[in-house]
Amino acid sequence: MSGVGYVAVGAQVVVVVGGAPVLGGWMRQVRARLEGRAGAGVGQPWRDVRKLLRKEAVTPVGTGPAFRLAPLLLVATTAVVAALMPLASTRTPVSGSADLILVVALLALGTVALALAGLDTGTAFGGMGASREMTIAALVEPTILLAVFAVSIPVGSTNLAAIIAGTIHHPARPASPAGLLAVAALAVAVLAEAGRIPVDNPATHLELTMVHEAMVLEYAGPDLALVELGSQMRLAVLLGLLGSLAAPWGTATGGSLPLLGLALVLLVVKTALLGTLLAAAEVFWAKVRLFKVPELLAGSFLLALLAVVASYFLTGEAVR
Amino acid sequence: MTSGAYTQLLDLACGVLLLCAVVVLWQRELAVLVRVLAVQGAALAAIAAVLGVHERRWGLLVVAAGVGVLRAGVLPYLLRRALGARTGGAADPPPPAAYRSPYREDVSEARETRPVVNVAASLVTAALLTLLAYAAARPLVALHPTPATRALPVGLAVVLVGFFVLVARRRAIAQVVGFLTLDNGITATAFLAASGVPPIVELGVSFDVLLAVLVLHVLTTRMRAAFGGTDLDDLRELSDR
Amino acid sequence: MTPTDSALLLTAPVAVPLAAAAAHAVAWRRAAASGGTAPGHRLTQWAGLLAPAAILVSAVVLAASVPSHGPVTAYGRLLRADGLSVWMLLVVGAVALLALAASPGYLAGERAAGHTDEAGAQRYHALVPAFLAAMCLALLAANLGVVWVAIEATTIVTAFLVGHRHTRTSVEAAWKYVVICSAGIALAFLGTVLVYYAARQAGVSEASALDWPTLAARADRLDPAVTRLGMALVVLGFGAKAGLVPLHAWLPDAHSQAPAPVSALMSGVLPAVSFTALLRFKVIADTALGTGYTRALLAAVALLTLCLSAALLLAQRDYKRMLAYSSMEHMSVIALGAAIGSPAVMSAALLHIAGHGLAKTVAFCSSGHILRLRGTTRIGRVRGLLAQSPALGAVFGLAVVALLGMPPFSLFASEVGIVRGGYAGGLGWAVSPALALVLLAFAALGYRTGRMVLGPPQPAGRPGDAPHALGAVAAAPLVAGLVACAALGTALGPLSDLLSAAAAITAGR
Repeated sequence: MSGVGYVAVGAQVVVVVGGAPVLGGWMRQVRARLEGRAGAGVGQPWRDVRKLLRKEAVTPVGTGPAFRLAPLLLVATTAVVAALMPLASTRTPVSGSADLILVVALLALGTVALALAGLDTGTAFGGMGASREMTIAALVEPTILLAVFAVSIPVGSTNLAAIIAGTIHHPARPASPAGLLAVAALAVAVLAEAGRIPVDNPATHLELTMVHEAMVLEYAGPDLALVELGSQMRLAVLLGLLGSLAAPWGTATGGSLPLLGLALVLLVVKTALLGTLLAAAEVFWAKVRLFKVPELLAGSFLLALLAVVASYFLTGEAVR
Repeated sequence: MTSGAYTQLLDLACGVLLLCAVVVLWQRELAVLVRVLAVQGAALAAIAAVLGVHERRWGLLVVAAGVGVLRAGVLPYLLRRALGARTGGAADPPPPAAYRSPYREDVSEARETRPVVNVAASLVTAALLTLLAYAAARPLVALHPTPATRALPVGLAVVLVGFFVLVARRRAIAQVVGFLTLDNGITATAFLAASGVPPIVELGVSFDVLLAVLVLHVLTTRMRAAFGGTDLDDLRELSDR
Repeated sequence: MTPTDSALLLTAPVAVPLAAAAAHAVAWRRAAASGGTAPGHRLTQWAGLLAPAAILVSAVVLAASVPSHGPVTAYGRLLRADGLSVWMLLVVGAVALLALAASPGYLAGERAAGHTDEAGAQRYHALVPAFLAAMCLALLAANLGVVWVAIEATTIVTAFLVGHRHTRTSVEAAWKYVVICSAGIALAFLGTVLVYYAARQAGVSEASALDWPTLAARADRLDPAVTRLGMALVVLGFGAKAGLVPLHAWLPDAHSQAPAPVSALMSGVLPAVSFTALLRFKVIADTALGTGYTRALLAAVALLTLCLSAALLLAQRDYKRMLAYSSMEHMSVIALGAAIGSPAVMSAALLHIAGHGLAKTVAFCSSGHILRLRGTTRIGRVRGLLAQSPALGAVFGLAVVALLGMPPFSLFASEVGIVRGGYAGGLGWAVSPALALVLLAFAALGYRTGRMVLGPPQPAGRPGDAPHALGAVAAAPLVAGLVACAALGTALGPLSDLLSAAAAITAGR
């Protein structure tokens, strides 16, 4: 069983690292088709990465280690998260450490690293992007923590593996008001964390609206490749998290290899489905003004709080 | 119905009820508010129906049907008409092109453009009100803990949020929506606490609410005639000067 | 009394006004269809008195039997008249008779000024009896849920009376009135629901869990925590309609915009009717929780209302609003009496309701005449009323003297009764500041009215300054109201049994 556990961890990391750019490409392709364009193809992000990796590493004059380390830190934290999270199996050697709060903190670490890098460049855009990113992060973190709290109440633990295993045993739990509200709050928070419309537009290079792109404007070559890969992995991991909290069915709880394979396939399907939905929604949505982002996030905070409250006063026997 | 499914359905309906109250605070578009109100009415009817099936009291199903028709059908229809009266009637002529500037403040009637309390603050307030409702409802739950009474804080929270909408919104229609949210909360409390008040009282209350909304509908029309809009900020002629 | 008799007596106060309202509603539709030009019959103008007469006659007959033979019920205990409801019915009947007797004169004046037409007059005649019917139902219903429905119905019916003119101020007053009252009274319904929940959990059957006699008898078994929450909501909710803080903001606006006779009804009896419902809940809460809780709530609300109304009376420049704030002042005195709650004080408070209803009716109806005479509601623009129109000036002045609580009017006796009872009952901490605030309101009201009534006549030459005679028809109801108020103050006569029966009910004995 332990062997299968290690295989599961390895498979998760490989699937996330290898699949994240494909997911990004897939979402761009869906968008393109919906908008009536041919699109660049699903493999385009990988081709971008290959092209960037071949280039010479250049850093702006006057930048320090924060700038150079940030891409590595971003990719590394996300890879650790991918290894920790019970995306495919709840019984892995590291599942004991798969605490939701740890996962959130690791993701936040990546965000902070990137914001520091943005500040380190000393340019106007870097500072602006960092300040905006931190504003949004400051509003998102409480929401995520509250939503996590809400989903952990019925289980009595913030361990992700325990939460997901508990949900598999009580299939009605995600349909309870607390579960629905928490997932809705998490969905908004994921959009903000991953820098998607309506909070941030990943495709823009317009000064007034950039958030994430403003921070990474000075990156080039292999560093840029890492940053791109890192943000795609973040999106994949967050969508995977959302998918496994909302619909954990199929995640392997035992130690058999075929089940693990099935779980991996289901994981890919679920994430792709969520990605498709998100891409389709982005076609119809507009990015909200930066000043309205707090409104959106206050709403999701409220949803998370209601989820917590509801899981206290609406827990009938069926949910316990 | 098994006890598990009963609890699940009841909780779900209560969750929708509360969520609708929150969305009322969140949204500025008045047409959306009216639609949300209809959904909330349907959730209220669902609560009554679930309770009726669970307790095998078929009279409650009739009440549920009545509540559904009134609160998910008739009242939202009336509000939609109150909204539509503006566009269908003698609308203001568009301002001459010379005065039309892209930076002009949006004074359209369809949106709550400048609520008294801004949306982010009202959402945070709603969060606090929910906690208050939870605290206030503790003796109610303690008296007779069942799945239904355990959901009583939802009813109180909807009442408080409705009251807050009433205070914090400037558009006449938004205030009516707040009033109806308040009323939905009270009816939900009645259903959850004691499977509804006696039918004669329920009938009288529904009739009163319907008439109150009709009266407010007429007053909205008059307000438009007298003030040229439904911004309640204009109502400041009567004061102790 | 046979069941038929009691059914008849309990139905008449609701059914006769409703029938009158329906008849006038038909006439209203017809007049509206014909463009509202056809003048009404002189006879139908006075037919409006039929409804209050029916209320008063039923109340008098009931008053003769209830104190000695106990409560009367009808329709399977749906309607019920005990001492309290008969006393209030008597007040409603008397005040409505005065107000409706003043209505033809008011409407004639409005029509002469071009403010209304036949359709408007018929609408007035349709809505006022409906308003009376709703108040009587609120007094006679035994089911507390039905009481709530009836009180909410008064809001709906009077909305268009408050907004009878389509001016900006009248639309504003009507909107505030409907929104604040409906939302406020919704809280009272929530309180009612909570009491119902407590009663169901105490083992009372569904049919009688809102029935007041049953609830009052079994109140000791209600859950205290739930009842406490419910009672607080009831005080807030019915207090809104009674003009008590914090949901009082509608009152001055609505009273100043409504037609004068309707203002009289809305100020003289409507808050009292709502307060009666509050008193019924108080009986339940006192048994379930002990007297301390409701006493503290009512005393706090009464003192706050008194503070507010005294402060606003000091700064008032509009005489209709001044009368409205005076209503709030008197309602808070009554609430203070209810907080003290001993039988002697309760009878003083109920007497205060009656005296205030009569005096305020006279004051509002004469303020309608002043408005017509001078065309303004500003206190500063009205001078030397007594010199210009001796009868009107005297009536208005005497009505305010009655409202100030001077002998021989009954408000003197009742205020003294409440204050004495308060000190005797150990509520000196509440009564002393209340007394100071009442004196402040007294000074403000007296000073402003003195400036209006006394003084030399305004220099001639402007329209509306010619000498004016009130006329016997217009003066009769006003004088009758003052005489009745003074008579109540000197001797209660046959009413004393009824009053002590009513006070015993509200004191929970």
